[in-house]
Amino acid sequence: MKNVRLFYTKKGRMKFLSQLDINRLMTRVIRRSGLPVWYTEGFNRHIYINYAVPLSLGFEGEYEIMDIRLTDDAFEYEEALSRLNSAAPEGIRFLRAVDPVLPTKDIAFAEYEIAFESGNVFLYPALEKFLSSDSVICIKKDKKGRLKEFDIIPKIKSTDFSGDKPRLILSAGNEGNLNPAMVLSAFFEKTETAPVFYTVRRLMLFDAGLKPFV
Amino acid sequence: MNEKEFEKLLLSVQKPGRYSGGELNSVVKDKEKVKIRFAFCFPDTYEIGMSHLGMKILYSQFNEREDIWCERVFAPWVDFEVLMREKGIPLFALESRDSIKDFDFIGFTLQYELCYTNLLNMLDLAGLPLKSADRPSLSPLVVAGGPCCCNPEPLADFVDLFFLGEGEEVDLEVIDLYREFKEKGAGKEEFLRAAAKIEGVYVPSLYDIEYFEDGRIKSVTPKDGAPAKIRKRIMRDMDSSYYPDRFVVPFIEIVHDRAVQELFRGCIRGCRFCQAGFIYRPVREKSADTVNRQAKALCENTGYDEISLSSLSTSDYTCLEPLLNKMLLWTEPQSISLSLPSLRVDNFSAELLGKINHIRKSGLTFAPEAGTQRLRDVINKNVTEEEIFRTCKTAFEGGYTAVKLYFMLGLPTETDEDLKGITDLGRRIIDLYYSLENRPVGKSPSVSVSVSTFVPKPFTPFQFEPQIEKEEIERRQNVLKYSNTCRKVNISWHDSSVSFLEGAFARGDRRLCAVLEAAFKKGCKFDGWNECFNLQKWLEAFDENGIDPLFYSARKRDFDEINPWDHLDFGVTKDFLIRENKKAHSAKITPNCREKCAACGAACFGEGVCFEKR
Ligand code: SF4
Repeated sequence: MKNVRLFYTKKGRMKFLSQLDINRLMTRVIRRSGLPVWYTEGFNRHIYINYAVPLSLGFEGEYEIMDIRLTDDAFEYEEALSRLNSAAPEGIRFLRAVDPVLPTKDIAFAEYEIAFESGNVFLYPALEKFLSSDSVICIKKDKKGRLKEFDIIPKIKSTDFSGDKPRLILSAGNEGNLNPAMVLSAFFEKTETAPVFYTVRRLMLFDAGLKPFV
Repeated sequence: MNEKEFEKLLLSVQKPGRYSGGELNSVVKDKEKVKIRFAFCFPDTYEIGMSHLGMKILYSQFNEREDIWCERVFAPWVDFEVLMREKGIPLFALESRDSIKDFDFIGFTLQYELCYTNLLNMLDLAGLPLKSADRPSLSPLVVAGGPCCCNPEPLADFVDLFFLGEGEEVDLEVIDLYREFKEKGAGKEEFLRAAAKIEGVYVPSLYDIEYFEDGRIKSVTPKDGAPAKIRKRIMRDMDSSYYPDRFVVPFIEIVHDRAVQELFRGCIRGCRFCQAGFIYRPVREKSADTVNRQAKALCENTGYDEISLSSLSTSDYTCLEPLLNKMLLWTEPQSISLSLPSLRVDNFSAELLGKINHIRKSGLTFAPEAGTQRLRDVINKNVTEEEIFRTCKTAFEGGYTAVKLYFMLGLPTETDEDLKGITDLGRRIIDLYYSLENRPVGKSPSVSVSVSTFVPKPFTPFQFEPQIEKEEIERRQNVLKYSNTCRKVNISWHDSSVSFLEGAFARGDRRLCAVLEAAFKKGCKFDGWNECFNLQKWLEAFDENGIDPLFYSARKRDFDEINPWDHLDFGVTKDFLIRENKKAHSAKITPNCREKCAACGAACFGEGVCFEKR
């Protein structure tokens, strides 16, 4: 048995899927592909899949990661990819299959591209200015459901407003994940801007040294 | 509307996956290359409609034909409907996102009466006039099928043509006829007259109805050569009938999110309250080999890890054990679980229980339907208490602790004693549990009792019976509630005002069309949903049209009264229903089809259980 890390994209109509939907979908994709995958033991057996960092409903992802286990060590990765791709719906593309290098808990940052509708792009400079504040205190529920104040600024690793669409590198992973939706709602609220429609695309996941996570 | 705009809208509603389309196995064709576009409409939410087997069968079957593109349409939930109306987005088909207004067929499946306002709402959202008479051109043709078509009269003004019985053959015959008429440029009336000659097709506009002064029907007169009796269609040979080898697999969770394989159609039992038990007669089975082969293909093509063997009474399938043995050979290694709904108490063997048990431990559900043996005899639910206890004992000893029991309230001849019998049965099941030496250790038993209100339905022996009124329903619910002294027995029931509406529409005639339209205009929709049902608006709609709903639901009907559905022929004869009604009133049971044929009339189809060796 061996662990295999799959990189895939979630685009187009797939953005309407929540993480739960994605999990249901992937289970079926794998079953249809006929890959020799490992099932969890016990009462309610299911295919072992570990998702690196869940992606919210509404977001697209270019660098999504899931780990599975193959029971046949000699199974060719090329074959696995082609089978998965022929079983996957439009919008899900499996790009690479590799032996995992790092454990998923080592994911530290994620890069997101934010896009406002063309009529609202004039807000980008305001967003840039907002994100360069010293501190922005937001309220968030912690794991126990208690409301907690926290500062989002330290969780913003870097921003890039040089292209057509802003890119943000935010803390990601189990500890201290910062969702870009939270950044934007803080922006609208604190700057008293009427909220506008935006889309989010996750471009990359990084380790603590800002190297692409592999 | 462009893709961006559409996405933006979807991201602002609940469960966008209901409208996004693009599911696995959904069929996209080149619209320039097809001749017929069919919008298959399910007048309820995506999650409910996508769970429906009939739709899956016909969707795949239609799409096998190169000249037809069949697409799915569901009732948008209220949040999306608001946006659609605000932005002027017409009702669209999921596959192409094209407005269905320009399709050739708009076909509804009618599974329950409470979806009728949704049908009107969907026509309206499509931008079409509601009434058949206000849509003079041949297309789009509004058609409907499904069990409610055994009395489609409350929709007679809106739907151009109804399919009676099973649709696999007749639907395509009508589509072919339509194509011919369309190509020669014929009009709608001419087409409908021709279509009415196809067996299984009912064109309501070709029938004139006269009424007595007291409101009962005086006569039903066919015109323009339409048949006096319209007989339903059935599939004679289930092994050679079309069955899809793939289902559209939804992204979001739906009500029945699994592969489904039919074992047989019809039911041998003849429980007197159950419409399905009569309108789908006679029983026709698929062979175990066919079931096994089709089930396997479905799982492979969908990736589902659960398959449900569906029928009205699974344990009556004559080759259940050999089938399970065959299926377990491939389901077990692939971790596919088997579910067997509608298992009956009386022939639920320990061995069978064991087989399901080692696949999945879910709750045990039984439907005794009535609390005393007397009333069970009245309704011909021949389940004895002894059998219930025997099964529960096996189940408890096999590790089960939760039992779910289904009952009906308001059955003909029901007394308070029968109601007390329900809670009493629950309590004694709990007692049984504690009396067992080898009961599961350290666990506590529970019995949940779910009580629905009985609604008399056409083509059942109870079609003549009055439905009890609201106050009486509530009184009986209280009798039930106060008779329950056991904390481990939990009783739940449904709202009584919904069953009143269901009762009126189930046995209503075409004068209800006006009421339906009025209710729709007042905003009634999703009447089967508690959060949407509005009794007040319905009462106003009845009132404004001078129609008393109780005339349809709460009145005892004479055997010789002409019912709104008497010109439709589902095989079972009215004579048989009258005989059964009389037997019910003297609490006499009727043996099932395999024990002894009761000469119900369904043998006229020349197939099925009626011709089995007994
Ligand atoms: S004709 Fe006899 S065997 Fe056939 S469905 Fe009716 S009762 Fe059953």
